[in-house]
Amino acid sequence: MSEVNKKEYKPEAPKVDTRKTEISKFSIIFNKLGIWVIVIMLLILGMIVSKGQFFTASNIQSILEAVALVGMIAPGMFFVVYCGNMNDMGIPSTMALAGMMTVQSINLGFPAAILIGILSGVLIGVINGFMIGKLRANAIIWPLAMNLFISGVIRVVWGGKQLYADKVARDTESAQRAAETFYSISRTYIGGIISLMAIVMLCMMLLAWFIHSKTSFGQKVKIMGTNYEVAKCSGINTVKVTMMVYIFDGICAAIGGIFYAALRKTASYENGTGYDFTALTAVVLGGALLGGGKGSIVGTFGGVIAYGILNNVLSWIGLGTYEKYLVQGLVFLFIVWLNTYSNRKLGKA
Amino acid sequence: MKKIRINANFINNNRSYMFLALILIIGLFMDKFYTAFNIAAVTGNGSLIMWLGLGFTVCLIAGHFDLSIMYMSTFGALLCLGLHNDQKLPWIVCILAATLLGCLVGFVNGILTTKFKINSFIVTLGMQFILRGGMYLYCNGEELSIGKDYSFNEMLNAKVGPLPFSLYFVITTLAVFFVMVVLRYTRFGRNIHMVGGNLETAWLAGVKSDLVTTGAFMISSASCALGGALNGVYSGAASVTMGEKGISPLMMAITATIIGGTSLSGGKGSVIWTWVSLVAISFLKSVFKKTEMQVLVISIILILCIFYETLAKYRRDKVVGTRPNLHKEYLKETGKVQ
Repeated sequence: MSEVNKKEYKPEAPKVDTRKTEISKFSIIFNKLGIWVIVIMLLILGMIVSKGQFFTASNIQSILEAVALVGMIAPGMFFVVYCGNMNDMGIPSTMALAGMMTVQSINLGFPAAILIGILSGVLIGVINGFMIGKLRANAIIWPLAMNLFISGVIRVVWGGKQLYADKVARDTESAQRAAETFYSISRTYIGGIISLMAIVMLCMMLLAWFIHSKTSFGQKVKIMGTNYEVAKCSGINTVKVTMMVYIFDGICAAIGGIFYAALRKTASYENGTGYDFTALTAVVLGGALLGGGKGSIVGTFGGVIAYGILNNVLSWIGLGTYEKYLVQGLVFLFIVWLNTYSNRKLGKA
Repeated sequence: MKKIRINANFINNNRSYMFLALILIIGLFMDKFYTAFNIAAVTGNGSLIMWLGLGFTVCLIAGHFDLSIMYMSTFGALLCLGLHNDQKLPWIVCILAATLLGCLVGFVNGILTTKFKINSFIVTLGMQFILRGGMYLYCNGEELSIGKDYSFNEMLNAKVGPLPFSLYFVITTLAVFFVMVVLRYTRFGRNIHMVGGNLETAWLAGVKSDLVTTGAFMISSASCALGGALNGVYSGAASVTMGEKGISPLMMAITATIIGGTSLSGGKGSVIWTWVSLVAISFLKSVFKKTEMQVLVISIILILCIFYETLAKYRRDKVVGTRPNLHKEYLKETGKVQ
């Protein structure tokens, strides 16, 4: 038998591996720079479309103002996504509650009113953080239920009415002045060029960038987002970290809500509707993975800016509000696909 | 102590039925609650969110989120009425066209999720924007109505035999039971449960997981488009904000799915539970006339459900774990020997 086998044996030609081993340059570049590639492309497109009027002061000012609110909320949402909790659907009601509380307590003076508004955001953050960090409630559904609950409470307590700061304020001079100050915060231009909202947004982004990349807290959040069990076993106090993340998220949403109420001159239960998805869009555009543990504040800022510039460029092209939705959705899906694709090519996801 | 815990479990397992029973008992003390007119109106108006809940539950059983269902149903209604008004097509063709559009959108959702490996949450979020832009472009933001041809509208509004239900609600119910049968007694339906429970195991067992997931997305979108089209005919008009009174129908569908007891991680759940809790929510709107109270009551029930589940899971996780003997001791002490 063995002789037969030996006779029949013929050495095969060595197999040549024809699979591609090179990774395309674009994947590497896109993975490094992320959304800023898109931002630069959009800037060039904007320059062509607007015939050189894109970089005027008024246009840049309008872009920054349009994204300021989203930019205030996005850092908080980024940390929630980053620590592996996918999404905070409770942002609209936090914004609404902060606006309501601020307007309701305007009689105590302007700084106290703002403080109470932010404290209401902290309160919601503490409740969310306790439920999700300590009791491990589902991170998508618990904020959603909380959103519905707080929206219901606001509707019942204030009877579904809208609040106006100058009507809530008493007839004394100081209270009226506080209401005036409250209205003016969204309309102040520092140096006559940059609005206060844009500056607040940049400050929050800087703060979030500092927390994310320069402190040990940011590292802890990253480990938690990558692998919860590993983080717990390596001695990280996961309850505390989750609590801090949600408190930061609550503060961000509360500040956004206060500015929103001041901008619209009213506080009502429907303030902030849709801002959860908008903020998530910006964060995801910035390259964060919904699974957690990947992404950066620089990318999130790029996502926010890209969102604003895309809107602006589409306006320059001459599209209406309705066409914009369509193009936004297509661009959003395309960029997310690019992100996922380059990550998979480099073996990072 | 022991008795109370058993009762809590029993309530938890049948909580959608309990919810419905609670609302119906409260209804006994209301004026004009158990009249044929009220019941027909309540169930007819609540049928749209029943379709949405049906789609959302099927997707959630397969382990995916479908956020595009709300705009899908609105687009279906607009397309159905628009085709009938402009192209003078018969109703059946219009409704079929809307359903086909739903199938197409579901197919795209499924392909983007399975082949391009994008998270379904994000895919459907982007699809939501696209559908919104598309439907605004289709109708220019105007409200469409069904012109002069009211025959089909009257047919949907008419009561079925001696029952106090409109034909629209009966069709909805039949569709829900049909999907329930498909999910429970066919190979495809059981595969959906399997894919949702554990994707990798299902793939290793030979289930074509990509195909099944795409199928679940298609069922979800198609049923929403069909329901939206029927709702457009039933109410005689369709606008871009259809169904939005107080809370968005999407939130309502998610809430009802959770109250019904469908597991968020997929693999467990039933469209019947969702349907029962949506019927209860529809009746709740008749009990509490003010929108504010409706929102508060629904949210409190939702929070109680989540709170109970979370606490039960927390207790279980605390005991069950690395030391099985400890768990046995605990069972002996509490008298729950298996």
